[in-house]
Amino acid sequence: MKRITRNVELVYNRDLLKRVPHACLSFACSHGPQAQPVVLLWEDNRYLMGIPEHAGYQPDADQEVVLLVDDGVYFFDLRAIYIRGRTKPITTPGGTPADHMWCEVAPLKTVSWDYGTLREVKDEH
Amino acid sequence: MNIDDPAVINILRRSMIARIATLSRTGRPSINPLYFVYWDNHLWLGTAEWTLAARNVKADSRVSILFEVEQGHADHQILRISGRASVRTDQEVQRSNNLQTLRKYILTPGGILNYVTHIRLLQAMHSYHAQSAQKGLACVIEVIPEQVEFLNSGLQG
Repeated sequence: MKRITRNVELVYNRDLLKRVPHACLSFACSHGPQAQPVVLLWEDNRYLMGIPEHAGYQPDADQEVVLLVDDGVYFFDLRAIYIRGRTKPITTPGGTPADHMWCEVAPLKTVSWDYGTLREVKDEH
Repeated sequence: MNIDDPAVINILRRSMIARIATLSRTGRPSINPLYFVYWDNHLWLGTAEWTLAARNVKADSRVSILFEVEQGHADHQILRISGRASVRTDQEVQRSNNLQTLRKYILTPGGILNYVTHIRLLQAMHSYHAQSAQKGLACVIEVIPEQVEFLNSGLQG
């Protein structure tokens, strides 16, 4: 059995982590889901994320979040890294905006895709 | 701020990707980039019923969505719209959404160039869409805005 996939190994999309085009976060808060733009630093394979202090809501420590880094507008240019993980507070990394709250996202699951690589693969499920 | 504010409409008309945050039935978060159209006072995000975004909206109608103009503007602004959403599969909405999506993403110089330069992948794209159709109907997430706000720029990079 074969299927068409857009998914790629994370390594193929690493440039999105080095030159972050768009990074945003989703987490649950009292009024429902919150979509929040974030500053993302990828250092030593760690996902370090800053949220402006004035943002109305911040994720709690050890809260489940999803971090999305994506790029592209037209179909075959669409790429993304989707990271589900838990937050760990950290001190503000050097050289970063001081008016941000910083935390690390410890990944539980990562999915990476690139529609420019659509291809047939053997379905192992 | 309302969705019919000229500054809001300006961003919605120029933005190309909607990043929609949702919650599952058990409260687990997700966020997905989707194509969208803002047309005739409707805010429609295209996807399929089997996707996490659509399944979450069916479980919990609350959504939070980010919009921004992708590039080339010094006055970089991010718009966040929070509200309630529903999953629409009726033919009339599908047809209107498909037509507007075609105009916005494909029948443009950038869209046509993207298809031409990836012509070798068109068969795979058709197969991918057919595979999606086997998993569930195409659908539109219709959003009724409740809160509209501009966020500070300068976050990326």
